[in-house]
Amino acid sequence: MIELDRRRALISTAGLAVGGMATAKLLPEEMLLRDRRPARSRVAIVSAAAYSEGLAESLTRALRMFELSVRGKSVLLKPNFVEFIAGVEVNTNPVLVGAAAEAFRHLGARNVVVAEGPGHQRDTYLVLAESGLEAQLRGQKLAFVDLNRDELIKVVTRANYTGLDHLWLPRAVLESDFVVSMPKIKTHHWAGVTLSMKNMFGIVPGTKYGWPKNVLHWKGIHRSILDICATAPIHFVIADGVVAMEGNGPLHGTHRNLGKIVLADDPVAADFVCAQLMGLNPSLVWHLDRASHFLGNGSPGRIDLIAEQLPRHVVPFDVLPEFAHLRLRS
Amino acid sequence: METKGLVRALRKRLAQGCSLSGAVKRSRDQISVESTCLAALVLSRQRGLELDRAVQVLLSFQNRDGSWPAFARDEPEGCWTTAMATLALMAAGRESAALASGIRWLVDARGREANWFWRWKLRTVDRSVQFDPAKYGWSWIEGTTSWVIPTAFSVIALRQIHRRGINQTAAVIERIDRGIQMLLDRMCPGGGWNAGNGVAFGVPYSPYIDATAIALLALAGHEREPGVQWSLAWLVKRLPGCPSPYSLAWGILALAAYRGVNREVETTLERTTNELVALVERDAGGDDVGTVAVCALALDAAAGDNVFEVRA
Repeated sequence: MIELDRRRALISTAGLAVGGMATAKLLPEEMLLRDRRPARSRVAIVSAAAYSEGLAESLTRALRMFELSVRGKSVLLKPNFVEFIAGVEVNTNPVLVGAAAEAFRHLGARNVVVAEGPGHQRDTYLVLAESGLEAQLRGQKLAFVDLNRDELIKVVTRANYTGLDHLWLPRAVLESDFVVSMPKIKTHHWAGVTLSMKNMFGIVPGTKYGWPKNVLHWKGIHRSILDICATAPIHFVIADGVVAMEGNGPLHGTHRNLGKIVLADDPVAADFVCAQLMGLNPSLVWHLDRASHFLGNGSPGRIDLIAEQLPRHVVPFDVLPEFAHLRLRS
Repeated sequence: METKGLVRALRKRLAQGCSLSGAVKRSRDQISVESTCLAALVLSRQRGLELDRAVQVLLSFQNRDGSWPAFARDEPEGCWTTAMATLALMAAGRESAALASGIRWLVDARGREANWFWRWKLRTVDRSVQFDPAKYGWSWIEGTTSWVIPTAFSVIALRQIHRRGINQTAAVIERIDRGIQMLLDRMCPGGGWNAGNGVAFGVPYSPYIDATAIALLALAGHEREPGVQWSLAWLVKRLPGCPSPYSLAWGILALAAYRGVNREVETTLERTTNELVALVERDAGGDDVGTVAVCALALDAAAGDNVFEVRA
């Protein structure tokens, strides 16, 4: 915070010194923020044809490539569970969530919990039971935290895209040593795409912000995503693209058998690669573009693909007409 | 265990969950005003020290403007829990100045689309979500649009306030009528309610059990409305076999309010009450204060004592 204020003051002073009209308020927000991008980011694209028992082993192998230090740590898996719609792959697949838990346990994690706060559906247990996650949790003896009702802590925002100077966030997320965002790779009717950064909307508690978290929609989805991701910890990403969603996502789209899981140590890099796998231009998604200026890496020159490479030819995902400009040429 | 015994056991669990301050919570849950209100509603059926403590803590949470926040330590801006708090105070028999100021806040609160500018924008520019913005209700928190559950609870509270003769002004009647219009306008095609709108981006949304049940509670007495009939029919079909005690309990509360409408409602009420008893006995998916409280209220309602009753 002190550093942020110093930077803001420095730029403001410089602006005044040259007699310009621009004040710090008029500058793009990311110019005022500390550059938190790592020198390099690592992303692993892993093929997976189906949600099978072998996933835990594949994930363990892929996680080892990152040489993560999770031994003795508490790991929180944040999948994307919105609601259950029979026959539609809306949520992060429960088998993948179970496999991730197993993999982190193999790597020596002290404790693994699954946590989510559905945006519209107040009955979190109903979503868990009908989606199959509850059975997975029971089978693996995994604890679950309902982020809509967890104890809340007031946190000063580390970016100011929404004008909110603080957010109330769940203790479970803030106190975990290692937070893993586990999105379903989908198109989104407001944001263009919903990936690891948008998935963090689910940590914002309904108890405070309602169902849906409507105040954040009014502040702007892209802006809210940036403030949430700048403020809450995201240490790792495991994105579910085995069966993805195209068209009118995040609920009423159609299946797309992408056959990929994307792992990354940087959510911005993860989302850039996921968007490219979708045949969409990540730089045209406002929150991804802004995030790549201060929060994580979007430039291919700073992203190491440590497993598979991006396919040469991708048939772009179907999108709603207002997002047609995102589609890359196949 | 027979139903009455089960309700006694649930009440005991809630009473034991009362902290010294009177707030009711599970070990690491936020002390939420909603849960405290639901627990107070349960405890109001058998008055005692725990009810007094719950009411005291509820009063201590009240904001200066008469509203209630979402949880302990929250900012002093009012939110949807004000409707719940007024219901709890009425059930506890506390018709005080605190209740009067809560009612005043509730009558003045409205969704953002009540403002002419947003109404104009939603009618002309922003057409992705289809609804009539002139029919507004209540929002979760100030500065946002109306949603089904906050509106339904506010309508229930105001209808009880009117029925009890606490406030029968034109303003209360106008807000009840407009709230009912809002609920009917936001219904999903074919009946039932989602969180807010029935249709978005040209796609019909699926109803949720809890939202549908709470909206039906608010609309009790309007059985002649086709939308109410469709929604009740949807609930009767959807509710049996629901694996979650929370939704099942809300469904039972709604069916109990429509008892006698038709035979299907009666048989579904009986069947789902048995299912809820089985779930509660198995302790499946319901150890948080809100769920325990709603289960107790549902079993009371099935036995003929519905705390959300709005009919005169």
